[in-house]
Amino acid sequence: MAAKIDLVPEQRRALARAKALAIAADLLWLAQAASIAILIAGWLDGGVAQPVLWVTLFVSAGSLRAILSARAGRIAFDLGQQVVSLTRRRLLDREAPRPNSTLSSAEVAAMVTDKIPLLAPDISRYRIAFARVKVVPIVLLLVVLSQSWAAAAILLVTGPLIPVFMALVGMAARDASAKQMVEIGAVNRVLVDHIAALPDIRLLGGFDRSRRAFAVHVDSLRERTMAVLRIAFLSSTVLELFAAIGMAMVAVYVGFTLLGEINFGTWRGTMTPATGIFILLLVPEFFQPLRDLAAAWHDKAAADAVRDDLENAAGDETAAILGAGGRVTPLDGPVMIRVREAQVLRGARHIALPDIDLGPGQSLALTGPSGAGKSTALDALAGLLPLSSGHISVQGVPLDDAHADAWRARIAMVPQRLHMPDAALHDILDPHGTGANLADALSRADATDVVAALPDGLDTRLGETGAGVSGGEARRLLLARALFSGADIIIADEPTADLDTDTAARIIAALRRAQSAGATVIVASHDPNLIAAMDRVVSLSGPDS
Amino acid sequence: MRPLWHITRLMWRAGPWAMWRGAAAALAVLVMGTALLGLSGWFITAAGAAGIAGVGIAFDVFRPSAGVRFLALGRAGARYAERLLTHDTTLRALASLRLAVLEQLEQRPIASLRQLRSGAGLNRIIADVDALDGLLLRLVLPVIAGLLTHLGALALIWWLAGAQIALSLSVGYLVGSGLVLWRAAKSAVAPSVEAETARQTLRHDVIGLLRGRRDVIVQGLLPKTRIEIDAAEAQATSAERHLSRIDERTALRLSLVVTLCTAAALALGQLAVRAGTIDAATAAIGVFVALALAETVLPLRRGLADLGRMHSAARRLLRDGTTGHPTALSPITPDTSRGLTVTDLTVARPGRQVAVSAPLSLTLHPGDVVALAGPSGHGKSTLLDALAGLTNPLSGQVILAGIPLSDWPETQLRDCLTLVPQRTSLIGGTVRENLALSVDTLTDGAAWAALQTVCMTDVIARVGGLDGVLGEAGSGLSGGEARRLALARAVLRAPKVLLLDEPTEGLDDALARDVLAGLKKALPECAILMAAHRPAETEFATRTISVKRHITKTEYI
Repeated sequence: MAAKIDLVPEQRRALARAKALAIAADLLWLAQAASIAILIAGWLDGGVAQPVLWVTLFVSAGSLRAILSARAGRIAFDLGQQVVSLTRRRLLDREAPRPNSTLSSAEVAAMVTDKIPLLAPDISRYRIAFARVKVVPIVLLLVVLSQSWAAAAILLVTGPLIPVFMALVGMAARDASAKQMVEIGAVNRVLVDHIAALPDIRLLGGFDRSRRAFAVHVDSLRERTMAVLRIAFLSSTVLELFAAIGMAMVAVYVGFTLLGEINFGTWRGTMTPATGIFILLLVPEFFQPLRDLAAAWHDKAAADAVRDDLENAAGDETAAILGAGGRVTPLDGPVMIRVREAQVLRGARHIALPDIDLGPGQSLALTGPSGAGKSTALDALAGLLPLSSGHISVQGVPLDDAHADAWRARIAMVPQRLHMPDAALHDILDPHGTGANLADALSRADATDVVAALPDGLDTRLGETGAGVSGGEARRLLLARALFSGADIIIADEPTADLDTDTAARIIAALRRAQSAGATVIVASHDPNLIAAMDRVVSLSGPDS
Repeated sequence: MRPLWHITRLMWRAGPWAMWRGAAAALAVLVMGTALLGLSGWFITAAGAAGIAGVGIAFDVFRPSAGVRFLALGRAGARYAERLLTHDTTLRALASLRLAVLEQLEQRPIASLRQLRSGAGLNRIIADVDALDGLLLRLVLPVIAGLLTHLGALALIWWLAGAQIALSLSVGYLVGSGLVLWRAAKSAVAPSVEAETARQTLRHDVIGLLRGRRDVIVQGLLPKTRIEIDAAEAQATSAERHLSRIDERTALRLSLVVTLCTAAALALGQLAVRAGTIDAATAAIGVFVALALAETVLPLRRGLADLGRMHSAARRLLRDGTTGHPTALSPITPDTSRGLTVTDLTVARPGRQVAVSAPLSLTLHPGDVVALAGPSGHGKSTLLDALAGLTNPLSGQVILAGIPLSDWPETQLRDCLTLVPQRTSLIGGTVRENLALSVDTLTDGAAWAALQTVCMTDVIARVGGLDGVLGEAGSGLSGGEARRLALARAVLRAPKVLLLDEPTEGLDDALARDVLAGLKKALPECAILMAAHRPAETEFATRTISVKRHITKTEYI
């Protein structure tokens, strides 16, 4: 079931204020309806004493009504926005320090930009409409009752089926909106598929065929959706129908009473034209909150779905990094890494790390079959994954929340999965914007020719929207970034994977040069050439140990 | 507003008849709602007058009360019809819009299409199409129905209550709400574009942070990056708030217009009744109609608030389509017995001017199977792109069936030559739909024969035969299976020249040999050139050509 939204007391008060304002705005209609009724009734018997007064009352009540309802809308909207902002920030606070999260980046981005905003209309529309439904129809019913029990009875017959219909309409409306979301989503997915396949379709000379297939597919989706909507819309039509029947019955009853053809249903035995018109004017407003609630129902359904998604996301048990990922003064002293009986929890599995002792200028290769936990071990050494047992100490202090940032300030990582940020190359290589000369680091990483071949050199934008570089080129660039950072510990995950031997040899040579310049080098690899180039090899056993 | 006009016309043409029916139903709802309130008001006031005059017995109660009942039921029915028809219409219109988008994208160069496969460009297009969701439903149809309702109300009240009340109501409503909505639309343009941009920036930044979070954390930049994202988030929120303020103001002003118009009807009615020009019941119609007409203007503000977003989305979608229409080449008469001749061909990666490999020369006769060997990253795929006419080479000459490649019209070229690139895409849908991308009429026999060629009959039987449904982008098949299905599509094209980029990637050795043998058997006269890196491929070829790395010259540094 969906979680409740949590509002702080101040926000609760604001929401209560918005509800009160919206209800007050609705009830101001009583004054407007009375003005109209008295004026028109006056036309029948020679005129009211002060028509200007009544017109003025009508206009003032109407203006106040507009102002109150705008004020209510504003408070509710701002509240919705606060909930959206807070939820977004919480999700990012959770996801950002979890590099091993099971949620994909695209999923989280879709939540932040598309889904979480759906929480706002739940507050700004649905909750306000719900509060109005609980008060306004009852008050109007009592007012009508004070004038005519028969008219009230008509509303009572058509109205209190309301909870029943609300449930009915609610269920159907939820279905309808869910189906419609599915349909819009499904059409978009088909479109995405066809766009993604355009290079293939071009090679198959199949543009026309692809568009025909798309049209057929989308048309069948439309027919299925319409079949659902035909039923779903019926239920809300029932609400409309009852509102219409209520209106018609009240109009006919009041008309016949005024003509003297009906002589029951009022407290005094007769009804004045003013009372008749007044009652008639209240009927649409009696049903209006209900219609608004039905219209806002899909806001609630959508918000519930988002809350479910968020709850599932919060169920991901991947641990966060040690420390805050901030920039602090690096830990002092020559490199000293000790790993003892360390274990890391990865999913439901405990991965045992080998005991390691490593000093300055030394190099180490972690090897073992896929899934043995090589990347996990590298993450643990960089404080990106906390241990479930055992300990790692660095420079003589435990690698914990207090020391992780200072420890990482000495580390540079070359990740296995290459991600080129969508930025200019010099900003990627020099993320802190020191402005220092990159030439030396590029040459040490054997990456000078990579930059030279780029259309705008160091100003080239790489990544999604920019120029592409091959896997080997990207590795050399990231290695250059590692060397440029001045870090004296270089951690590289499978730096030679998917590369031909020539390119791999250049990477290995660059790592060797870094080591001879004093850096401590740790790699995870199953490339025999790279392993041979390291001082020491530690083998991780398979997943079963 | 021209782009929106274009898009509206495009969507309208998707089903003009359905559009008019939807508009007619929307009109019926408004007209019946207005008439219901007007008639009820008249009926009660007239009944009150008759009651006071003591002539209640003579009053014709039948027709007005029947009218009230008819309008009440009719309005509910019309509303149902309106909702169904406009939704149906909108779905049709959106389908045609998406088709138009697809057709425009087809004109883009191959590099741009490949870049679209993942990421921002695709998101942008989907967001733009979605932005136009409400164009018909919330803007065009309500405006048409609202204006027609006003015309009807004007005529009716003019006839019943005279020009003064009728014109005051129409002028008050049309000018008042017109001005309010116009101002709202104008002032919402910039913020709604800004809100959309801020939303896209936020998405981009969030994806950037999450994909690169390992780097960001190790570099100690996480707090800084989070602050930047919070700023982007605050900007998106503030743009939304700005829009909402405009919306609140518009709603407030529209309510005031309704109140003032009704007040005017009250005041004018008061004067007219006093002067004795019309009776009380007729004057009451004016008041009740004035109240009912609120329904014609209040719902418009949502559509108008999105006008800016719709406009810029429409402009982007149309602009995407107007670029790079290739000039049509005149038809040619190729001599397909002559195969493919390549002389001193060099190619560069997209966006570069440096050759990736040494000049390549080869001749491919019908029935030849030639392997292009060489380490990865030496431009084999780039060479195949150029040979398939997808990109222009840096230098050298390619002659296909006796005619230079650049002289081939696209359609004829695709009928003669097919390339199966390293990365292929399937579409969600049935196996048959995927195979039918290759040929206009696909018989079951041909489909199964092509599947047989790539040893896929068992796999396809497992997923439910030709009508078995594949998930998004063909999910449900393994990488190797998806690849073989892509090969089957190529076989169905029956090309004269077939270019394959590492065709058996992801297949075990025995299967790789079976698939290659199947291809050869299905296309005995086809000249096959494949980028190969494994023994199963090179041993199958009758000839192997090595692609050598282009020596980078120091002049570029």
